[in-house]
Amino acid sequence: MSVTYIDAIREAQEDLLREDDRVFLYGQDIASFGGAFKATKGLAEAYPNRVFDSPISEDAMIGLAVGAAIEGMRPIIEMQFADFSSIAFNQIVNQAATHYYRTGMPIPITVRLPSGGTPGSGPFHSQSMEGLYAQYPGLVVVTPATVSDAYHMLIDAVKMDDPVIYCEHKFLYRWLKAKSIKGEHLPIGQARIARPGKHATVVTYSAMVHEAVRAADRLQQDGWEIEVVDLRSVKPLDIDTVLASVARTGRLLAVGEAFPWGGVTAEVVSRVTEEGFHLLDAPPQRLNSRDTPVPYHPKLWAAHRPTPESISEALRKLLSF
Amino acid sequence: MPIVPILMPQLGESIAEATVIRLDIKVGDEVKTDQEIIEVETNKATMGITTLCNGVVSEIRAVEGVSYSVGSLLGLLEVTEEEIARTGVDTLETLEAKNHSQPQETKSGEENLHFALDGDSYEEDPSIVPTVKGLPVPTGVMGAHYISPRMRARMNDMGLREADISAIAGTGAGGRVTVEDLERFLDYLESWPSAPASPMRLAVADAMRRSWTRPLATVGLPVLLDRLLQHRREQVKKPGLTLYLLRAFAIALKEQPMTAGYLIGEKVVHPRSFDIGVAVQVEDGVVVPAMRKVDQKTLSELVAEYDDLVDRARRRRLTEADSRGGIATVTNFGTFGLTTGTPIPLPNETLILGIGAGRKKPVWSEQVEAFLPATEAELLLTFDHRVVDGGGAGMLLNRVAVLLQQPENL
Amino acid sequence: MISLDGEFLRSAFRSMLKARILENKLSSLYKAGKIVGGVYLGKGQEAVSGCLGTALIQGKDCFAPLIRDQAGRTAFGEPLIDCTRTYLGSVEGPMKVRDGNIHRGRPHKGMPAMISHLGAQVPLIAGMLFAKRLKGTLDGCVGATCVGDGATSTGAFHEGLNMAAVEKLPMVVVIANNQFAYSTPNNRQFACGDLVERARGYGVGGYSVDGTDLMACASVIGEAVKQARLGKGPQMVVAHLLRLSGHGEHDDGAYVPDSARAGYYGRDCIEIAIEQLVQGGYASQAEIEAWREEFSEEVQRAVAQAQQEALPDPYLENWSALSTTFPYIPS
Repeated sequence: MSVTYIDAIREAQEDLLREDDRVFLYGQDIASFGGAFKATKGLAEAYPNRVFDSPISEDAMIGLAVGAAIEGMRPIIEMQFADFSSIAFNQIVNQAATHYYRTGMPIPITVRLPSGGTPGSGPFHSQSMEGLYAQYPGLVVVTPATVSDAYHMLIDAVKMDDPVIYCEHKFLYRWLKAKSIKGEHLPIGQARIARPGKHATVVTYSAMVHEAVRAADRLQQDGWEIEVVDLRSVKPLDIDTVLASVARTGRLLAVGEAFPWGGVTAEVVSRVTEEGFHLLDAPPQRLNSRDTPVPYHPKLWAAHRPTPESISEALRKLLSF
Repeated sequence: MPIVPILMPQLGESIAEATVIRLDIKVGDEVKTDQEIIEVETNKATMGITTLCNGVVSEIRAVEGVSYSVGSLLGLLEVTEEEIARTGVDTLETLEAKNHSQPQETKSGEENLHFALDGDSYEEDPSIVPTVKGLPVPTGVMGAHYISPRMRARMNDMGLREADISAIAGTGAGGRVTVEDLERFLDYLESWPSAPASPMRLAVADAMRRSWTRPLATVGLPVLLDRLLQHRREQVKKPGLTLYLLRAFAIALKEQPMTAGYLIGEKVVHPRSFDIGVAVQVEDGVVVPAMRKVDQKTLSELVAEYDDLVDRARRRRLTEADSRGGIATVTNFGTFGLTTGTPIPLPNETLILGIGAGRKKPVWSEQVEAFLPATEAELLLTFDHRVVDGGGAGMLLNRVAVLLQQPENL
Repeated sequence: MISLDGEFLRSAFRSMLKARILENKLSSLYKAGKIVGGVYLGKGQEAVSGCLGTALIQGKDCFAPLIRDQAGRTAFGEPLIDCTRTYLGSVEGPMKVRDGNIHRGRPHKGMPAMISHLGAQVPLIAGMLFAKRLKGTLDGCVGATCVGDGATSTGAFHEGLNMAAVEKLPMVVVIANNQFAYSTPNNRQFACGDLVERARGYGVGGYSVDGTDLMACASVIGEAVKQARLGKGPQMVVAHLLRLSGHGEHDDGAYVPDSARAGYYGRDCIEIAIEQLVQGGYASQAEIEAWREEFSEEVQRAVAQAQQEALPDPYLENWSALSTTFPYIPS
């Protein structure tokens, strides 16, 4: 019996609905239909007055969530695709994110963003928005890469008093399986060593953790031992774990699926250069998607995002310095 | 009675000044709370400046038609204590206090925090033009000479210099020594016997490394020592060979003081006193105490001083002052049986004069037209080529050689 | 519930008058250089705002005021000191001067703090009501917000009102059509005749009212609130009026044509209200003068107190936008 990444998300929501009356789910097609990806399958039947279909109004969905949070609720908002959260951008960054600093009252909402590319999804169903939201003060941005994290970080996100942008990767939904989701887990704000190594550090998150581990496996055959750090949450960024890893290896490659201008990988490189310059034996490197919209055709898409091949190549370049 | 200022308000974002278009008050007028007293115009709108309390106009500084920056004092009101209490307005005094309390909270460099409040305007400086020329751009930061930030930090930890890692063949790009190369090398050295270097060794190493950063050159010529040795045999207190050398060197330097100059930046520092150091081999190192005013003392006068210095040097009883102030150094490596060498001057000196061991050699005599036995030694002078050239060094060395042939004059 | 109830009219008027006196003082403070940033006044909108605030029940309803709602804020229980502290930079203020002027609120008392992005409070109020429904406390509750004519052009307004209608929430949206969104007149803002025509399209109750007429506002807004309270879903009230000040005090409103100022809606709702109260026997002239006196002193006290309180210190500020500390271990 195994659990997929999306099972974990569904199960977390079910457990939250069961254990906390303040929790409700609001999103497009999430009630009887069970959501575009079936992340809420069966939940409306089990909790008929707690899971609601929303009009196609991303702005109002977040506005409603913030209002409900002011009234003491803990809403989980499902964006059908992360890409569509651009419509809700104002409510997220101006209403939810500023509220605690302005009024002293935190806004415990969780916004689920089905993120990242899958073959054939094209420019508007493939985006990775974590860097954009991480830029704004007042938001927590989590990017689970494992089935266990998908479950526990969603539970913790809803329990947390501040607004959380929960970036779940669509590619991992059914591709990623685990034996079980219960048991030990790390807290939000702490990164994880996904694979230990000593010759170079790859810092990444979400689906790219798996691509980086594959790249590391390839380099292992040539005797290179690559350490892979899974950030888990991009904001807060656990720079201590990153620096500790770079201290072991002296070389850094930051990998992200988001667009290359700025963003999480740039932040990682900048922080390491600033705080750990003396640890670097080679110029820190970044690898992101290409600087174009995410292309539709699977062949183009596969060349647009970082892959085990491109990560291996970037690592070889880094190791040869 | 308290005085309340009338100030030019901030009338809209990005407004730095406003023009007074009409004064609705004159000195002596009574004004009421919220009365509009001065009409002003900004480039956005026309509006009235109000007073926030009842009072009497005691002074008007504003002039119609003139622009004033935000915060400018336009006039003064006399206001009763009761009215101040009722309205909570600031008087000149309380405003002063507030303004003065500001800097205490303001850390240096953050004065701009109050930029908008003060209404200071900022004019672009037209003399500032974008930089179009900068540093020449290196073509690559890789290669054997490149030291990464981590290498640099690790080397600092270990007290390593670039010279120390020259033994390592780098495996990085362009032969760069990577941190792993360094760590491997250090691990390799672990298998060799080693011990911490003595403080004396480290001091000498440091001085030699620093000196070696200069373009040093050495010149030499043979010198006959027979007359000198003869002279020595005739003395009661017998001066050592080194002492003859010291004395001859001091006299020659006094005649050609420019050669002992020390170059620092664009300046040559000249000798102040002809104090000459003497290299003394001690356990695990060399020390260089200085003999004072060697140009002004005769050989016999110098013997006692010399013996004392050398004795104290060998017993490690030199003081800091003993080693300070020399302008050049003399070394007699002939005592180790060596005939030639390239001595290195101290980092803060330009010259070092050395002499090798004397050897019996056949020397052609014009007088007897035959080879005669004579004692000959190599006289060597190392100099900082930035200060002295081969010609200057040669003249100095020749002069020393000549002086050594006239020991009675020393 | 309450339309031409005498006590309602007196309450609404008192909030109108207090707001006007406070705002005159704010204008004066601004023109004396005491206020940094903008000053946004509700002159001309007091009857609309005051009636809405009065029709709501403190401690039960929720109300998201916008920039010209001083009367409604006052009627809904916001103390004057909240206003003067926020404008004058006192750290004792509700926003600790992290936000200023009209961007203030008391979310824990059902009055959220507005953001500058227009229309954004419409779905927010919907959310507060939605939460009350989930908590089982919605019965007899109303949520209200005010917007201007400009906000009706935003996506947020549309999304929020549509969502409230879909969710059948007891929400009242008052559109104060003061004819200018900053300087943009109605004919560059929307193409329908009266904005109330949109109510039908949203499937919500629609009302159109003379915003300069206290009696009409009390009656119509009172009715809209009543219908919402009875569970008839969202209600939209379009109030017609003219802004009697600039967009903010930095603006003299020179773009408002004289014909508009001299026209019907150029009349001052406070003066009309006094006439109505006196003629209808709801209040005497002397009573109104006494109120004026009382409020002037109250305003002066609130200004004096706020002026004497501490200014913020950047070096003591807690520069954290999150309440959580990390790593986060749920309790």
